[in-house]
Amino acid sequence: MAMIHLTIVTPEGKFYDDDAQRVMVRTTGGEVAILPRHIDYSASLGEGEARVTEADGNVRRAKVSGGILHVASDQVHVITQRFEWAEQ
Amino acid sequence: MAGASMKDIKLRIRSVESTMQITKAMQLVASSKLRGARARMEASRPYMKVARTAIWDIALHNTGAQSHYVVPREVKHRCYIVIAGDRGLAGSYNSNMFKRIEWDSRDANWCVIPIGRKARDYYAHQGVPIITEIEKVEGLTLEQCGEIAQHILDAYDDGTYEEIVLAYTSFVSVLTQKTKLKPLLPLDAHDAPERTNRQMLCEPDADSMLKGFLPQYLAGLIYSAACDSFASEQAARRVAMDSATKNAGEMIEDLSLRYNRARQSSITQELTEIVAGAEH
Repeated sequence: MAMIHLTIVTPEGKFYDDDAQRVMVRTTGGEVAILPRHIDYSASLGEGEARVTEADGNVRRAKVSGGILHVASDQVHVITQRFEWAEQ
Repeated sequence: MAGASMKDIKLRIRSVESTMQITKAMQLVASSKLRGARARMEASRPYMKVARTAIWDIALHNTGAQSHYVVPREVKHRCYIVIAGDRGLAGSYNSNMFKRIEWDSRDANWCVIPIGRKARDYYAHQGVPIITEIEKVEGLTLEQCGEIAQHILDAYDDGTYEEIVLAYTSFVSVLTQKTKLKPLLPLDAHDAPERTNRQMLCEPDADSMLKGFLPQYLAGLIYSAACDSFASEQAARRVAMDSATKNAGEMIEDLSLRYNRARQSSITQELTEIVAGAEH
């Protein structure tokens, strides 16, 4: 199955750097889900929930505030100021 | 003469010993701070790498027009954001930075935004215009960096400065640190990836994305440069204090030798006097 490679970074550290099936984030225009083979795309992120479906199907939720989403040939970058996993 | 200098030497030894204790303590503090500083520095690096690619993708490969943040202007007014130390006693860490900027700033009117007490004191003393300042590098927060980023963006937009340069010290290793001047605005063309025909879809549009993201990106750059500089400062101080401690040790050895010699000669002299007295 095709995967995206997801990287989540803030200036204070890296929070995710692995393959994923899907990532959902809230952009300033609304919710967006990125699946494999998405076109090159970038968007401003708003404040809201992000949902990452990991390679094994496990869904993790997190809080994202600001920044941008950047997709370039299945490399997905979430570049944000603050990031927090819900389970911690 | 020998007796008087014995006391002097003893006093001298004592004073060098107490100095050595201080330098040794400072070295230990710098080593432990260096460990934390390096971890923070390493943590901020992935962000810089990823954010740099993204910002250039938006600025160049978008479907809209080219942004004015990319095109260089003729430089008449330059603003330096100078990150130096909070304290001295770190070898040539602070003075290297000031020298580098003095050299670089000859061709334009300039002003500074100092970060760190040493930088602020230096430029206040030199009479260089200070726009705004942050007193401490240690514990610098992203929010503080964000305020500075917003400030310089506004000033760049209304044409107060044609160029904004970030001056920091890059940590290469514990023994090597390099002063760096990095253009913040317009965006540093050396960072630009090779131009391709790849087109990128931007939402809502490239211009407003840049407007929204640039303050965060610049704040991240300043933050990561401050982490780098702080690690460099601690490393420089550790090395400086290490050699100071070594020098003090050598000095004590030398002084003890002189003390023993003086003691020996005063004993010899006394003996000679006693013997001379007995012969009469």
